[in-house]
Amino acid sequence: MNMSDTERTKPVIERMGYEWTDNEDEASLLGILACSVRQKAIDKVYSRISKWNKLKNKKNLLTFVTGCILPSDKERFLKLFDIVFPMSELQELPEMIGQYGIVTPFSLQSPVNGHAVFENPRVKELKAKAASLKLNEHIPDFWHIHPTYESSFEAFVPIQNGCDKFCTFCAVPYTRGREVSRPSEEILAEVQILIEKNYKSITLLGQNVNSYGLDKKGEEITFPELLRKIGEIGKSSDKEFWVYFTSPHPRDMSDEVIEVIAAYPHLAKQIHLPIQSGDDKVLIRMNRKYSVEKYTEIVKTIRRLIPQATLFTDIIVGFTGETDEQFENTRKAMAEFNYNMAYIAQYSQRPGAVSSRWVDDVPHDVKKNRFHKLTHDLEKTSAAHNRQMIGKTFRILVRGLERKGDFLSGLTEGRINVRIPSTDTSLIGKMVDIKITSSTDFSVAGEFVLKPELNTYGS
Amino acid sequence: MEVTINTIFTVQGVRHLTDSTYIVRLDRKGMMFVPGQNLNIGLAGDPEKRDYSIYSSLEDNFLDILVKEVDDGLVSKKLKKLKPGDSIEVDGPFGFFTIKDEDISTKKFLFIASGTGIGPFHSIALSYPELNYKLIHGVRNRNETYEKDHYPAGCYIGCLSKDKKGEFRGRVTDYLRQNPVDPDTLCYLCGNVNMIYDAFDILKEQGVPSGNLHAEVYF
Repeated sequence: MNMSDTERTKPVIERMGYEWTDNEDEASLLGILACSVRQKAIDKVYSRISKWNKLKNKKNLLTFVTGCILPSDKERFLKLFDIVFPMSELQELPEMIGQYGIVTPFSLQSPVNGHAVFENPRVKELKAKAASLKLNEHIPDFWHIHPTYESSFEAFVPIQNGCDKFCTFCAVPYTRGREVSRPSEEILAEVQILIEKNYKSITLLGQNVNSYGLDKKGEEITFPELLRKIGEIGKSSDKEFWVYFTSPHPRDMSDEVIEVIAAYPHLAKQIHLPIQSGDDKVLIRMNRKYSVEKYTEIVKTIRRLIPQATLFTDIIVGFTGETDEQFENTRKAMAEFNYNMAYIAQYSQRPGAVSSRWVDDVPHDVKKNRFHKLTHDLEKTSAAHNRQMIGKTFRILVRGLERKGDFLSGLTEGRINVRIPSTDTSLIGKMVDIKITSSTDFSVAGEFVLKPELNTYGS
Repeated sequence: MEVTINTIFTVQGVRHLTDSTYIVRLDRKGMMFVPGQNLNIGLAGDPEKRDYSIYSSLEDNFLDILVKEVDDGLVSKKLKKLKPGDSIEVDGPFGFFTIKDEDISTKKFLFIASGTGIGPFHSIALSYPELNYKLIHGVRNRNETYEKDHYPAGCYIGCLSKDKKGEFRGRVTDYLRQNPVDPDTLCYLCGNVNMIYDAFDILKEQGVPSGNLHAEVYF
């Protein structure tokens, strides 16, 4: 979500006439898109604003903070930053800056231009407004901002903001507010534009994408219906692209979603389905509201309807109270579901989350050990899958040069990393056919195919 | 009103059930909810908030929440001191600890609670009078059985661990072992995590499938 927030913040600031700089000392406007998922990230915000406030003794500087902010941090930020606002009010940032008497192309057109900073009653009014801000109240305005995409071939499209699931390890419902679905007409229009601009990889974003539309109580299409419409756009287009989504919640994962993905070629055959734990009791404590049995049924449906699909997941190890036996159940799940990728996190208390009030009782060394064991398990399942790719040809989206500069790197439709022995940067952003010649735990390598012969995984 | 976000509600009063347990009654303000859901509540302007299940029924024109005072609690101690006319901030309703409409008249339910975990079951039981259910409530003494007269005869079973004058002497887990559950029963568990884990194991041993087990951890 932070990527999408950034893509929407940049154009708003650029329209005010600001130019980007990588040097903080040069900047006259400094801002932070905060993330409250981990305490470390919020600690960095405090450290950074302390530094910026010292800079104010030497130069004119305006500071702002937005993004995921807990109510308790918001109270303190109001005293430290000049401007505090939720992402939903991003459209109003030029006006907020204008209140500080900053001359920008925007403020030259603004009737409030020229007011002295500390004499301006509007500044106080804005601060008071921020103090009582209602999360998500203006999120539709945020969605109307035309984003500056970071890439010319990969884009993120927000379809929903907020979360109603209240997992006990997560603070998102308290920082981003309730689930609010973006109007489907807007999503479809943005996707259409991206396709016309030859974007190859489009990711629909939301905290729980598969509960899309449910907040509108029948007045909006559902997530599978949204996917179907995007699939139809693909069918009537001569462009080649893949559409992904992240993240779905297993509780709301219906067979219909899987059926639609299976039916439309442009809907990528890659599914990210966070399990978090393979133990029912841990899932209860996490307030995930599904059982391992239910999760297993979903995976079986995926394997039956889309046998070539790659499967990714998220797992937390060492959650409060997790026993050795419960962790072993997660290992069994890892073995059973044959994940291609798992984003494994060692549990840490997240400020504002319900579990932050519980004793973090799994020792650090135990968490670390479980993390390594699970990572090793993942290596085995991922490596076995990657070995099966050898000798087959896949369509690859070339994404860039590897760090050392002697290989191109790309992704398959299933988001498996591919190394290509070429330095032809003109291929970046293009789809090519690659025959896989070797594999490692988490990637494969291959060579160009002159006459593309497309295989699919497992075929 | 479908969903409130940081909305101010007026307190009608606080009713004390024991020295440390009380019910806070609020104006309902037309709030729609599904029995079993909870509210995020705190004093107006105070960033500290906590989740409390709705205790009152769909028919009531007020909202009740059942609160247990926590020794070092940042919210429960403040809620205890509320007076009629005071304002509190309410966010919600939230949660999926609810029963499906199609199950109300067709299924058999077992509600298992410890302490104030009885809150959502009180709302469910009073909202759906036709429901076929049994409520097993684990507490220490009979004064913690709260408002057991609100349930039809035979539906409420107080499991008292330190008091002989209840429907059952012992823990809810003892009751479950002595009274095996039909695997077709939809079982809902709410309260202390240790009670939930122990009851979960017993119910699984008795053949209740995971799909029939629903749980909400309070603490």
